[in-house]
Amino acid sequence: MIDLRRRERKSLMVMMRSSIGPLLIVAIALVGVVILSLLLSKTPGKTLRYFFLGPIQNTYYFGNMLNGAIPLIFGGLGISLAMRSGNFNLGGEGQIYSGALVATLCAIALAPLGIAGAVIALIAGAAMGGFLGGLSGFFRMKWNTSELITSFLISNAVVLLVNYLIAGPFMDPSTNLIATRKIPEAFRLARILEPSNLSSALFLAITAVIVVQWYLYKTKSGYELRISGLNSSFARYGGIHTNWYMVLPMMLSGALYGLGGGIAIYGTYYSCMKDFSGGMGWNGLAVALIAKYKPAAVIPAAIFFAYIEAGARNAMLHSDVTFEIASIVQSLVFFLVTSAVLQSVGQKKRGH
Amino acid sequence: MQFLLPILHSSVTIMTPLLLAAMGGLFTELSGMLNIALEGLLLMGAFCGIIFTYFTGSMVLGVLLGILCTMLLSAILAAVTLNLRSNVFITGLATNLFASGLTVVLSFKLFGNKGVVVFDSIPSLPVLRIPALAQIPVFGDIFIGHSAFIYLSWLLLAVCYVVLYKTPFGFRLRAAGLHQKALSSLGMDPNRYRFIAFLISGFTCGLGGALLTLNLGAFVPNITAGKGWIALVVIFLGNKKPLGLLIAAVVFGFADAFSNYAQGALNVPADFILAIPYVFTLLAMLGFSIYSKSKDSFES
Repeated sequence: MIDLRRRERKSLMVMMRSSIGPLLIVAIALVGVVILSLLLSKTPGKTLRYFFLGPIQNTYYFGNMLNGAIPLIFGGLGISLAMRSGNFNLGGEGQIYSGALVATLCAIALAPLGIAGAVIALIAGAAMGGFLGGLSGFFRMKWNTSELITSFLISNAVVLLVNYLIAGPFMDPSTNLIATRKIPEAFRLARILEPSNLSSALFLAITAVIVVQWYLYKTKSGYELRISGLNSSFARYGGIHTNWYMVLPMMLSGALYGLGGGIAIYGTYYSCMKDFSGGMGWNGLAVALIAKYKPAAVIPAAIFFAYIEAGARNAMLHSDVTFEIASIVQSLVFFLVTSAVLQSVGQKKRGH
Repeated sequence: MQFLLPILHSSVTIMTPLLLAAMGGLFTELSGMLNIALEGLLLMGAFCGIIFTYFTGSMVLGVLLGILCTMLLSAILAAVTLNLRSNVFITGLATNLFASGLTVVLSFKLFGNKGVVVFDSIPSLPVLRIPALAQIPVFGDIFIGHSAFIYLSWLLLAVCYVVLYKTPFGFRLRAAGLHQKALSSLGMDPNRYRFIAFLISGFTCGLGGALLTLNLGAFVPNITAGKGWIALVVIFLGNKKPLGLLIAAVVFGFADAFSNYAQGALNVPADFILAIPYVFTLLAMLGFSIYSKSKDSFES
């Protein structure tokens, strides 16, 4: 009994130590916000107040911030799965955007089927993202082409193709927006924190975290995926089809992005608008990096990123800075997040 | 045949920033670092080159200051990657994100505008006429009437070759990529050569980026539009050799010039034209890896 408690306390200590690195990076990013405001704003005090307090000042902004975290949770999970298997998926932007378009178009076409149609449309969106991710995995398996570069290139081309489809063949002529028609009202997810945009998509995101956690740690396939990522020669000698784990994780990764795109349409946007998902793919990557590819840690990391975005949007609305300071802060996180030196702060050195 | 000449002429203009970025990327690549930050560095050079030309009123000074700022950014990238031991891919991504954010933020701060900023007052690029080039039969017209910077970049390619293959510095830099333990066993720090390689890529991207905006007389957000990525592919397709770089850059420059022409002449949607560099790069990468895979299996 005592032994158990001691072990619990020890694991808590380990957890606290290993979160010092990420917390340090978060702190540096926030200091970055302060410095940027001092440099760029004529009224830095006002800018900072809106940046830091804006997202939590009332239910409306708070709900919207949480809502912004939802696609990042899906993206962060997708990246975590790919990274755990030793694959880089840099195609999140294209996967989320094309997934959203396919889900939207299918939802409109399948309106008569009711709830079944809604589910099929979401699966179709996920399949679209999964196809794009899997393609890069396939290229790597077949010809050893770097999946990191192909996923990025495919994604960039796909974003432009989706732009064309939204502004061309699928544009809704009845509005001034560059967007598709809206999905049926019956398909839209319920709002759970009026007057904000937060919808029951939040529960779907949490469910996704639980499913991915279960898959990675409790299933045979998840185990094989992790081993392939840790040491692919060992995995191969152990009889694991490592080739398959170049394709499957990329497919799952893309599918989670595509699903995130579809759910963003069902919960928030209702129609696929031009560039609505711009930046979500990259932020998903950053979220996964901060969370160190642990599914449960993806949630706080996603909320942190959503907070930075919401803060920047608030500061832009009420003060004299532009929204792009968010990308500078995010780049700061990217610069530091993989640093072995910063990660080792607070951790005991391992003996060699 | 007649319609080809203007396309070929503009492909020389288009390929130059590509060639410059690829040259800098060659140094980092040979030193053992995958430098995906070329895109961001080019963008930084593009923005700084034109705003400093605008503020100082001198093109030479503006380009030099622009290069300096780009080198500063590449120094930050190198310090974070090498000294803080970060993943070079993620820090490269950070550089790209940083450059695209910073250019928009600064353009909003300085000109109150997040879109296209046109600079009317700046001089146009000085055009150099080299009579000897005009003597070349048939193709002579393609090589004359370009800006001085373009001829300078050809000169730089020769310098790049000499530095890499004929100097001790070049040998050591390549050793850092080939066998870093050999280099450190001789008491030399591979990271020092990598740091310098990053600085060199900052230099060439600063110049290449400045050419993009000064040629246009305006700054357009995200003006680089994937050119840094293509530069990376130019390095791979050019087999990591200076002359190979030139050939690959010519091919891509022509493809780009042709797609510009196609946009006007064939009425293709603009989004498709913008996608061409990525599709082309992807196909080139796939072709290249299929080729090396088949060569490997043939040899073994």
